[in-house]
Amino acid sequence: MPESSPPATELFSSAEHPTLNGCRCRACGYVFFPPQSYGCEYCGATAEQLEPKSLRGTGSLASFATVHLHQGKEIEAPFTVGLIVLDDGPAVRAILTQRTDEGLKIGDGMRAVLLDTNSEGGRAHELRFAKQEAAR
Amino acid sequence: MKKTLRQMRPVYIVGIGLHRYQRMSDTTYVTLGLTAVREALKDAAIDWKSVESAYTGTALVGMAASRPMLRHLGATGIAMAQVENASASGSTAVRQACLDVASGLTDVSLAVGVDKPGPIAGAPGKTNIHDLVGRRVVPFTHFALLANEYMNRYGATPEQVAMVAVKNNRNGANNPYAQRQKAVALEEVLAGPQISGSLTRLQCCPVGEGAAAVIIASDDAIEKLGIDRSRAIRVTASVSRSERVYRGAKNFDAELTRETVAQAYEEAQIAPQDLDVVELHDAFTIEELLYVEAMGLCGEGEGARMITSGAVDIGGKCAISASGGLLAMGHPIGPTGTGQIAEITRQLRDEAGVRQQPNARTGLAHMVGVGAVCVVHVLQKES
Repeated sequence: MPESSPPATELFSSAEHPTLNGCRCRACGYVFFPPQSYGCEYCGATAEQLEPKSLRGTGSLASFATVHLHQGKEIEAPFTVGLIVLDDGPAVRAILTQRTDEGLKIGDGMRAVLLDTNSEGGRAHELRFAKQEAAR
Repeated sequence: MKKTLRQMRPVYIVGIGLHRYQRMSDTTYVTLGLTAVREALKDAAIDWKSVESAYTGTALVGMAASRPMLRHLGATGIAMAQVENASASGSTAVRQACLDVASGLTDVSLAVGVDKPGPIAGAPGKTNIHDLVGRRVVPFTHFALLANEYMNRYGATPEQVAMVAVKNNRNGANNPYAQRQKAVALEEVLAGPQISGSLTRLQCCPVGEGAAAVIIASDDAIEKLGIDRSRAIRVTASVSRSERVYRGAKNFDAELTRETVAQAYEEAQIAPQDLDVVELHDAFTIEELLYVEAMGLCGEGEGARMITSGAVDIGGKCAISASGGLLAMGHPIGPTGTGQIAEITRQLRDEAGVRQQPNARTGLAHMVGVGAVCVVHVLQKES
């Protein structure tokens, strides 16, 4: 029987200190984000071995780039993308709260924050990352 | 028992042809492809009737590209199929043609890469797996992030990274098939417009249209068809790999290239210092620094210094992107990997004119594709 697609999973919890909804493979211990239930990329274990794992929304900035040219409707350039190595392991790419790279440096502590968006698509919140001291 | 390409019967590039890479025009993909194939047949001095299988490397033209194009050479009834492997489509078409000949299924096979810009409906967007950035991170930002990380780690400067574009545009200025045929100064490269991070427009490859073709033949075919053996270039390794999970590694792109190239060296029985010419996937300037290190042409963190030292210029230790690379020759997707093989063949034949790397005997072609995949070929001039 062909399997149907797993439903799109929420990527984060909408708490005051948001966490990311990652996955952990019970067979090999691989922790990953974004979540999926097709199978473990590291060892091939199937969905029943993949369990949800909440990842703290804190980490360290491994790289960043301010995007000056963008044609999509969902965000206006310039905006800044960060690569954040989460304290719980996986590296994630996220949009930062600041539009320029002013004051950013690799190694900065980062924290996930929820941003209210008025997108027509209906998603009420978007997860972004901010420098630790600016996140409060 | 398993065999490498080199352990099978020898395969040679005996014909090369291109249609110039250029901005999107009214020219049909049929005209682009036929121009390249006819030039390759003429170069090999053989008839279309001698070709026994054909692989069309294309990512954007659409379903069933081969026969509506190739029938205009005379419909001979040969096996033909499309090869789609993202940016490595043309490289993979070459690999399939090599495997046909090496296995003895055919004596003469064709690989032709052809593409025109069009809407990309890539499968990775259909997995229903979403991340935090979606379409807001496109390839130039993926590589802008790697550029920033690299510069921070090794103390390289944006000027050193931009020098890749200066070198490759200088080479492309002498390549009649290149999309960008104009030398540029460092100041022009840095002047912008800014695209993403430190990457400016001239540090990102142009994606246009074009075609490239290579004809692969066996010793038997060279003998039977009277092909000029002195211009035949042997393919001594063909390696195709896909990304693994490199736990703990910072840069998956570099790791994939590192292990694919290492396997190619082993299969061809060569070392990095044997390379005289290299065509690599320089879609963005930073990639050339990452890959020269991953290929072992210099040590970790030494790429920036190597690029600016002249060692990888034409006339240096190993000419990198003598064609102009993706940055200047262009990256029309399907043709790109096939075009690299054409350039290296031209270099090893000593027919590259003002772009000629002196005494070139060993060359390597490297492409990566979204997914991610990596395809590497080693070409060698026989003594």
